Amino acid sequence: MRNIIIFTTILVLSTIRANNLDLNGAINSNFGNSYDFYDFSENILDLNFFYNDLQGWVQYEYSNPPDIGFMKNDIRKFRLEYSTDNFLIKLGDIYEFWGRGLLLNQFDDQVTNFDNGTRGLYFEYNKGPFSFSHLNGNSDIWLMGADLRIPGFNNVHSMSANRFHYDLNSMSIGLTQLRSNENHAKMSGPSALVSHDLRGTYASWSGANADFFLEYVDKVSTEKTTMFGSIPNDTLKRGHGYYQNVNFYLGNWGLSTEYKRYTFDRAHGDLTANDYGNQIEFQQMPTLGKEHNSTLLGRLTHNYNFNDERGGQIELNGSILGLSVSAQYAHLSRNETWQSVSASDWVYEKLDGYLPSSNPSALPYWENYQEISGYAFDDKLYFKIGRGANKEILKTTRYFEGTQQDLTINTFWSYDTTDTILFDQEFQIIDSMEVFDTSYSDPYNVESKLWQQSKAITFPMEVNYIFDNGYTIGIGFQYQERKKVNKSMGNATSFNSADSSWNMYNPEDYNETYSSSTTQLSNQDGSVDTQINRLVYISISKAPKWSFTITHDWTNAFEASAPIDPYYNPLEALVYGDYKYFIGKRNNIDPPSWVQNRWVSAEFAYNITSSQRLTIMYGSMQGGLFCSNGICRLIPPFNDGLKITYSASF
Amino acid sequence: MRTVNIKSFFRVLLLFVLLDALYCEDNNQIGSKIPNLNIRLLSGGSVNLHDLAEDGPLLIDFWATWCVPCKKLMKFLNQYHLDYKDENFKVLMINTDTPRSISKARSYINAQDYKFYVGLDPNKVISKKLNGMVMPTLILVDKGGEVSWRHQGYITGEEVGINKRIQQILKDNQKTLSEG
Repeated sequence: MRNIIIFTTILVLSTIRANNLDLNGAINSNFGNSYDFYDFSENILDLNFFYNDLQGWVQYEYSNPPDIGFMKNDIRKFRLEYSTDNFLIKLGDIYEFWGRGLLLNQFDDQVTNFDNGTRGLYFEYNKGPFSFSHLNGNSDIWLMGADLRIPGFNNVHSMSANRFHYDLNSMSIGLTQLRSNENHAKMSGPSALVSHDLRGTYASWSGANADFFLEYVDKVSTEKTTMFGSIPNDTLKRGHGYYQNVNFYLGNWGLSTEYKRYTFDRAHGDLTANDYGNQIEFQQMPTLGKEHNSTLLGRLTHNYNFNDERGGQIELNGSILGLSVSAQYAHLSRNETWQSVSASDWVYEKLDGYLPSSNPSALPYWENYQEISGYAFDDKLYFKIGRGANKEILKTTRYFEGTQQDLTINTFWSYDTTDTILFDQEFQIIDSMEVFDTSYSDPYNVESKLWQQSKAITFPMEVNYIFDNGYTIGIGFQYQERKKVNKSMGNATSFNSADSSWNMYNPEDYNETYSSSTTQLSNQDGSVDTQINRLVYISISKAPKWSFTITHDWTNAFEASAPIDPYYNPLEALVYGDYKYFIGKRNNIDPPSWVQNRWVSAEFAYNITSSQRLTIMYGSMQGGLFCSNGICRLIPPFNDGLKITYSASF
Repeated sequence: MRTVNIKSFFRVLLLFVLLDALYCEDNNQIGSKIPNLNIRLLSGGSVNLHDLAEDGPLLIDFWATWCVPCKKLMKFLNQYHLDYKDENFKVLMINTDTPRSISKARSYINAQDYKFYVGLDPNKVISKKLNGMVMPTLILVDKGGEVSWRHQGYITGEEVGINKRIQQILKDNQKTLSEG
């Protein structure tokens, strides 16, 4: 039986090749092994075939275990597509992107382990300027939980979506609709059954010197009641999202402006899996933040809130004297400000107008980035210099601005004396009563605020010089100063739940205020005001065959407790010129103090052929936040390990 | 039983593919005619590949706004597009950004004042068909539409080799023309 399968497979594939059926594919193999058991081995084979109007795609995965996600040894994805002049039909794993993604944006990002594709059917009909698309199927979406490598939450959607699109010269309009019945995983307990109904519209126009794109989506979610089938489902949440992008082009200059306002849910703190009925995984909207290539700037990425965020971004691109110039500014915030009216109760007030707020309780975020790059010395020298500044309010623990009155209670005893004659004798009966006299002071201002903020400035720079013999030497340096503090201010310190009032900083003088800033950064020696991060890389390459890069990453402080470098490796010793290591006078598992807080890695990339590449990395890499498409993942550190990557396309 | 069959199938398939890859090495798809795909242009309108390669060689490259090596290479490709214009050589840069980033692509091309053709492939239909999912992927197409060279990735300094390839194909074409 097995031989028959092998023979048939070879026969079919050989016939296919002989019949000039187009076939292409790619192999990606990643292997990693580190001192602290961060091991992975993932292999993915993609195969595409094209035969007249038919095309197919199969992705096979053998991962044991993968870098992130579950172990797999099976077909991971497949799709069959058939197209004619007017029709397109897809069957299998489907990824669609409508408008700018406010209603539907599907992708499979293996770095963040986010995959919101639909396994089902897609149908598209085109007739002149008009097109109609329909998608239906099931999506099994896994989201990360507490574990950094194994997903924790599984939301299952049974969905259908439709789109009408019409092109009229340089203008186009579209109507979109999506309905999904979701089995939503909560933090604990049984999952919730939620129905999502989204309706949207978009329009775009493109001219010689300007273009624009607008999209609006309205969303209603209902939850299926678990009691008595006759009770109608409850409306859970309502929300909407708006996005616009207007661009202007003049000569060598382009000005891009973006605005967003997403209001699908709101919460003072972070939303969890128990907050459902809001933005669903199919909605992957523009973030309005800069996606940086710099490692240090990438680690500062703002955690975008697709449920409750508004803001704008302006980006200017141009060239002066043959140099590329780019400048960007973004300001985002929540759609409301929040007041803590007691120790645990927060109330919100919607922001007026359309612009983002700078009020700390609206959790604002600012970033600006400037970059200049270009070639010099007869295109032999390439350079890039940037400057990025970020400021963000991360959370508010206490935020009250208002008035309160002091309650004064005077008590005294009231006596009512009655003279009575009894048995010819005179008695006095005294009735006593304690009287409470309540009075309020004049209202006075109270301010009590405590929030956490981070602020950073980063300078990335890079220089490459190409020699005539094909060798290139490159040096990159990134420098970052970052502060993370808890700021508190006002004339009141905390809320007293016993008598429901704010405790004044100075009970004798309510006008006396305080202001303090406490750093949240520390190292082995204690608190640190400013975290300084430096990243240096030196590379040498010989076109078109190979490149070799050494990267040195260093920091002086951490947000949590300082991690301990578990192993002192020969690469670190070599970089620091520690000859004692090589004569056996160092203990590998007791590294010297001066190598702490540093990560050194070396990478060698070799192009075996023009379509096959092998990369070998040895050393340590600092973990941190990695974000892509607004989805963030906390990557654990990789200590004293080896990573091998092989990629080929054929 | 079903699982075993699928595994057997894929073991064989993998073997076939590896053998195919090793056998073809650099020559995969070399010598075959490029599909006549219609490509939407950033500047408006559309063009098909056979028309572009009708009167001279065509160099196709896939890029995206987030791809740093692609941007480094673009300056040189634009220069070659201008330098060999008289010999009907053309460069077609196919942008694979999602619709979300198309305005960034337009802004970037305008800012750099690049003169080559810029195609749009937001759904990656063309990049899949031409096997250009890795960026940058260069495909040199001879006059008439035959693929003469393919290359993936960019190491600084590789533009010299690319220029030599272009010069060679132009020289060969010139030779054929003078012999004919």
